[in-house]
Amino acid sequence: MSSYVYMKVLESTPERYDRGMRLLSRGRIDGLWEAVAERAAAPGRRVLDVGCGTGGVTLACARRGARVTGLDKDAGMLAVARAKAAAAGLAVDWLEAGVMELEDVVEPGGFDAVVSCLAMSELLPEERAYALARLARALAPGGLLVLADEVRPAGRLARLGWSLARAPRAALTWLLAARLTHPVDGLADEARAAGFVDVTEERLPPGDFALVSARAPAPPPEVRP
Amino acid sequence: MTLPGRFLPWLRDTLLRMFPHATRPGLRRIGRPGPDAPVLLTGNFTLTVARLERVLAGRDAWLLVADSHGINVWCAAGGGHLTHHDVIAVIRSSGIGERVAHRRLWLPQLAATGVERRVVEARTGWRADWGPARLEDLPAFLDRGERVARRERTMRFPPWERLEMALVWAAPTTLVAAAALVPLVGIAAALAGALSIGLVIFGIFAALPRLPVEGPRRWLTYAGGALLAGGLAAGADALLGGSGHAGWLLGAATLAMLALSVDLAGTTPWYASTINSAGNRFDLVLDRERCTGAADCVRVCPRDVLRMDGRERKVRIAEPEACIRCGACVVQCPEDALFFRFADGRVAPPAQVRATRMNMLGRRAVPVPTDEAPRSS
Repeated sequence: MSSYVYMKVLESTPERYDRGMRLLSRGRIDGLWEAVAERAAAPGRRVLDVGCGTGGVTLACARRGARVTGLDKDAGMLAVARAKAAAAGLAVDWLEAGVMELEDVVEPGGFDAVVSCLAMSELLPEERAYALARLARALAPGGLLVLADEVRPAGRLARLGWSLARAPRAALTWLLAARLTHPVDGLADEARAAGFVDVTEERLPPGDFALVSARAPAPPPEVRP
Repeated sequence: MTLPGRFLPWLRDTLLRMFPHATRPGLRRIGRPGPDAPVLLTGNFTLTVARLERVLAGRDAWLLVADSHGINVWCAAGGGHLTHHDVIAVIRSSGIGERVAHRRLWLPQLAATGVERRVVEARTGWRADWGPARLEDLPAFLDRGERVARRERTMRFPPWERLEMALVWAAPTTLVAAAALVPLVGIAAALAGALSIGLVIFGIFAALPRLPVEGPRRWLTYAGGALLAGGLAAGADALLGGSGHAGWLLGAATLAMLALSVDLAGTTPWYASTINSAGNRFDLVLDRERCTGAADCVRVCPRDVLRMDGRERKVRIAEPEACIRCGACVVQCPEDALFFRFADGRVAPPAQVRATRMNMLGRRAVPVPTDEAPRSS
């Protein structure tokens, strides 16, 4: 009962998620979605968007002609994503499942690319390790992985400045959408540990978004259930 | 321990408990659990986990803490923050399967508005069942050989809990009232005003369920509360030698009662939330043709609204007046035989309730689907 009041104020937040994310990223979120899609999507390519939320990256990939599957555990977010896809006249397969249920809903090796934007940071480290191994299995041999997440800039002073500049926007975003992104460090190393090869990391200016690209090894590693 | 080390957790767990507070999700041990020890699940609201560890002290059990975003189980499930996806995630990431020889998971009954038990079972191979609604019933439940008694499914509202919820409302209300009144009426009268408001709030919680706090009749309660608090404060002010402040004091009491009216009902286990209905009242409907007597709904109802009709092997809505429209039965029914109907005839079908939970359900009415119109008994 006790969080009732709080919950009431923030309800039906999926509808406000996109606005919240634009605010938190100072309008750069659309650019991030496009940057991910540019690397992963091409006409006819089978792309899986893990933690697709309201479908920002999913639709960016679909617009580039890819055959996209959007996966998210939040039915409310998926409802917003479906409405956006219908309005844009784009065909996307939507799956309601968490990253930890990937093996239940997709065939191994069924995708040429797996993308995930601001979703890996939502997981606990042990969940990320489990999930990354499953992402490798969902990919065809040599398939492409593109992860985008918020990172903190290197250096103590830069971090302090980043935290101070972010705090008021984070508070507003939380009030608006009841959600925040969480910076995550070391995604590239975690991808390597999960068996991915050719791992590269780019920083999008001004340096607080990281794009990690990697390839699934061939043949895919065995994962014990 | 330092003073802030003691004071801040106390503040968090009392006055600030309407805000979420997260502890780390994952697997915890209670005592020295072995491969046959029971596996219990909860959300990661700090206060809940601490209370669970306290009531289960001296026993051996595995505790799976699912990520409910630091919100208590009932609110998290009702708001879509604790679903079967979170339960499946913690089963898989915690490695509990390697620690126990069995595959039986006890879910908190109040998670039934968000966690679809059958999906957990289908995807993990674990058998998932509903434990008692309240964590303080867990010791008795375990002693009985992991069986839930009917009274443990029904929500009580014991005095200590009323006190806690009254405090959650009274603390901010009296603080704001005192701060606003001081420049208007002076310190003594402001204190009298704030204390009277606080006293009336405790009184309302103590008098439940005898005072109406939902429906149009709730305005009688709040108007009475405003008059009582304003009158008490004005009387105290007069005794203290003040004069001419009665208007301000009554005004402050009225504003405080208006604040309570926003959703006092929703912060109790006995009433439907005012806000979720968004002014569009809806009621539970059972399609008896579809009912196969699976009784999932009976096991998750926290108000003992639904009962099995033994002769017909079907469920009936036995106590419609007690229904708090939490949606647990609608979400769990394997036959989609339960749904909500609004006063204007439109409905919230099970798929809608499962997608949005109770969030502003009053705004989400849809016309009765023509191809498969739900029937009511």
